[in-house]
Amino acid sequence: MRTITGLRLRRDRRGVSNIIVVVLSLVIIIAIVSNVVLWSYQMNQLDWEKIRENVKISNVTRVSATRSPWFVVQSEYTVNTGSRVSGAYEDTQVADDGGWETFQEEETPPTYRLDVNGTFTLDLSSYPLWSVSTVEIQLRYGASDAGENWYLKAYNWTANEFSDSGFNSTTGHTPTTGWDNYAVNLTDQWRSYVQDDGTMRVEVCDEGNEAVRMTVDIDFLGVRIVFSEIRFTFRNEGALTFHLVSLWIINSTDHERYDINAIVNSGETLNYIRDDISLPTGQYAVKVVTERGNIAVYLGS
Amino acid sequence: MRRVLLDRRGITPVLSNVLLMAIAVAGMSIAIAATYVITGNLRETMGERFVIEDVWFKTDGEISVYLRNTGKMSIKVAALYVNYTAQSFTSLELDVGGHGWLSITYNWSSNSVYHIGVATSRGIEVADYYRSPA
Repeated sequence: MRTITGLRLRRDRRGVSNIIVVVLSLVIIIAIVSNVVLWSYQMNQLDWEKIRENVKISNVTRVSATRSPWFVVQSEYTVNTGSRVSGAYEDTQVADDGGWETFQEEETPPTYRLDVNGTFTLDLSSYPLWSVSTVEIQLRYGASDAGENWYLKAYNWTANEFSDSGFNSTTGHTPTTGWDNYAVNLTDQWRSYVQDDGTMRVEVCDEGNEAVRMTVDIDFLGVRIVFSEIRFTFRNEGALTFHLVSLWIINSTDHERYDINAIVNSGETLNYIRDDISLPTGQYAVKVVTERGNIAVYLGS
Repeated sequence: MRRVLLDRRGITPVLSNVLLMAIAVAGMSIAIAATYVITGNLRETMGERFVIEDVWFKTDGEISVYLRNTGKMSIKVAALYVNYTAQSFTSLELDVGGHGWLSITYNWSSNSVYHIGVATSRGIEVADYYRSPA
């Protein structure tokens, strides 16, 4: 039987080209299946996964803060009212180092006044403006009398005057006649007091209603930047793990994008903290984008 | 050997078989190559996915669109339409996972709705309506 079949195949050469055509047709079919059908299956799976993804931003809050080193004066104070008695501005650069600069109220009875100010430069190359949450001012001083309050003010570059408007404390500080610390925070109004190049002018002044001529020793006066940390709470309400790749902070004037790399398992909540992001004042929107292309939005103010 | 050389009657069938096989192989090779090209293009088109992450109506008469390639193929943006009208823009190509801004100059009006669409060189389009700020 095998001999007969072999002879027939050898004699009938017409079948060879048919076999070649069939084999190559199979190759074509395999190419189509692998290139189109399997690829289509993969892309359908990708789309299906995207549909099943469910990302939510459940909360956005400011949390604990970090602070820069102190920035101190690099030139002598300007005495608008009163006089400098002793010491130099270098003595006010480090707290509790045994050196201080002494000023005295001017001699104009019945009230005696003192008003000095210094120029400070925030290092914006290390701490860019966009990362600033607020600015703090700290004074360590000793007054010869406790009869009046002392105030910290900063130069408002918009209003062109020294002011404490918007500070967390505007009531001043009552001295104890020993060494006292007094600090104020510029809250979210800090931008009015800081120029684009980081320059600030800080004023120390008295209340103005004291009948005793006082001397004031300034041991330390400095400003520093406070960075806010923002906590984003992401919730995965879908059946698949998602990977967040983009974070947007949007308000009416700016659309700021940040790279993000956070993975949240199905059903889990992730508290994601960033210290290089600041939330704008007023209304804003936070938007996150997943690797599959889904977007979640949170509106805050 | 001498008989084979002298007997020329078998040459024609052999030649016809060889030619037939050559034609079959050549034809099928062309068919396979064409299949690969066609299905390759189809595969590339099927593998394209991208999203518009953000649309920013800037105050200086500019609209910026942020794109992210979420597919499995590199994409090249071929056209950007605002209200179905093509706009000129700087070329943008995004690798898999890539993202970037696409900006156009456009005198938009505040508090208006615009239909913005982005089309790739393979013909895939993503479009949506966006309201400009008040």
